[in-house]
Amino acid sequence: MKKEKVIKQTLFEQKPRSFILGVPISIWLVLIVLVPVVLMFIMSFKQKSGYEIVNIFTFANYLEFFKNETYWRLMLKSFRMAFIVSIVAIITGYPLAYFISRRLRRFRNLFYMLIITPLWVSYLVRIIAWRTILGNKGLLNLALLNLGITKEPLSIFLYNQVSVVITLTYIAIPFVFIPLYTALEKIPNNLIDAARDLGANEINTFINVVFPLSLPGLVTGFMLSFIIALGDYIIPAQLGGNTGIMYGNVVWAQFGGAFNWPFGSALGFILFFVAAIVLVIAQVFGSKEGIFAE
Amino acid sequence: MQNRIKGTDLKLRERRKFRFPYLGIYSILIYIFLYTPLIVVVLFSFSGTKSTVSFSAVTLKWYQELFQNSELVSSLLHSLQVSLTAVLFAIILGTSGAFFIVRVNFPGKRLFITLSQLPIILPGIIIGIAMLIFFINLKVPLSMLTITIGHISFTAPVVMFQVTSRLLRLGKNYEDAAKDLGASPVKTLFLVTIPMIKTAIIGGALLAFAMSFDEIIITYFLTGSWTTLPVYIYGMMRFGLSPQVYAVSTVILLFSITVIFFMARFTGTRAEELEVKK
Repeated sequence: MKKEKVIKQTLFEQKPRSFILGVPISIWLVLIVLVPVVLMFIMSFKQKSGYEIVNIFTFANYLEFFKNETYWRLMLKSFRMAFIVSIVAIITGYPLAYFISRRLRRFRNLFYMLIITPLWVSYLVRIIAWRTILGNKGLLNLALLNLGITKEPLSIFLYNQVSVVITLTYIAIPFVFIPLYTALEKIPNNLIDAARDLGANEINTFINVVFPLSLPGLVTGFMLSFIIALGDYIIPAQLGGNTGIMYGNVVWAQFGGAFNWPFGSALGFILFFVAAIVLVIAQVFGSKEGIFAE
Repeated sequence: MQNRIKGTDLKLRERRKFRFPYLGIYSILIYIFLYTPLIVVVLFSFSGTKSTVSFSAVTLKWYQELFQNSELVSSLLHSLQVSLTAVLFAIILGTSGAFFIVRVNFPGKRLFITLSQLPIILPGIIIGIAMLIFFINLKVPLSMLTITIGHISFTAPVVMFQVTSRLLRLGKNYEDAAKDLGASPVKTLFLVTIPMIKTAIIGGALLAFAMSFDEIIITYFLTGSWTTLPVYIYGMMRFGLSPQVYAVSTVILLFSITVIFFMARFTGTRAEELEVKK
């Protein structure tokens, strides 16, 4: 009787007070996230005329995207590039996550930290590093020249799609690795022991036990890497040259040189839409913890 | 008959022993792939000649030039200003927000959580465009203020989700126990709750700081004549890679490693230890 009263009292007292906790973050969410995105959406229906932005409602910007081959082809190209990057990052990251989480006993944390560390190293520094390696006067060319394989420096390494894929993959590996490692590490050892006792070797165990249990981590890793690669405009601009241009570059160009904000907003919103689909798929099939969970 | 059983038994044992070969070597190769570029940057910063390839003389010349470059030093100070402000706001917004989404039940909570993840999971270019349009609509000139608000968009959820996962893992038992033992809510907050989540806040703040200090994709949309360090370096990169770029990269690299060191101390298994010790 008394206890109930206390519970009722604390509930009554706490509820309005605890909602105060939500005030700062709600203001942040509305003002800094939602309003800007809505304004971008509204902007995408306006029209540029000369150097003015006209306040009319039109679908012209979206129609332009579908009518003009350049734009939707670039979207497809970026989509394909993001797909390749994510696959390569998983092929690189999966065996690594498996090795560290299931084979290593000692120094496991150290090797884990060594994969995470590049994530903390400046994004631009990593781009600079790859330009140095792949460039005309870069290390790769120097090595080939010194080994006598080529007589002149090759320009094939820099300024093409391959160098963009390499650099994007390099950026993406830690993002793929973290959710995979988390998923693999969580698999209870007695499941593996049971499979072993039933006569399965490492391959059988992997196919029937480990891999299915790691799928949520795989989906999350794929999604993170995909979205990073899909919207990037700095790496294609720095390493891609003419053939390496991606969707992000034309979006950026609308706000820089072309000065067509309504069209740029429409292109941005299409990217938003594609990213949202990928995110929803990942929400359904991926792990419930995000990358920033401890 | 017995021999046959023995035979299959042996085969079975052979089969069972099979493990993936070369996994260790493959992993080492990936570590080499991850670290070679970083080592290259450091080596080039000491190269004596302006041509990026030869190492005719080891020199500290580029580092000296770096500190005499007043534009670079001021953009570094700008970056520190922006990142520290953005992290301060992130700690307030993120910690209160974490308590809100963990401890308070309200309708539309899942949507709230999904929407507040947007700035960290959407491609940066979208946040950049949206922020730019937002400020132009408000007629706010591009300046330090716009960059800082742009950064708060992603630093707040970083801290919030670090603290959220800590709160979820620890549960409410310790606080309830403290209250049962007669501690006032204020006392519980300062003696139980804050010590438990302190490392998560610091870890989240460090992560947010590292992301903010390094941010270029959103910042590039919001920068007027007011440059941060990444914007300045990006400007340098467009005129080819000078040894100064390598020197500044090496300094940033050292700085990142220091931050990682602190990060490693503040996150990880600490909270679990706390739980085991009781």
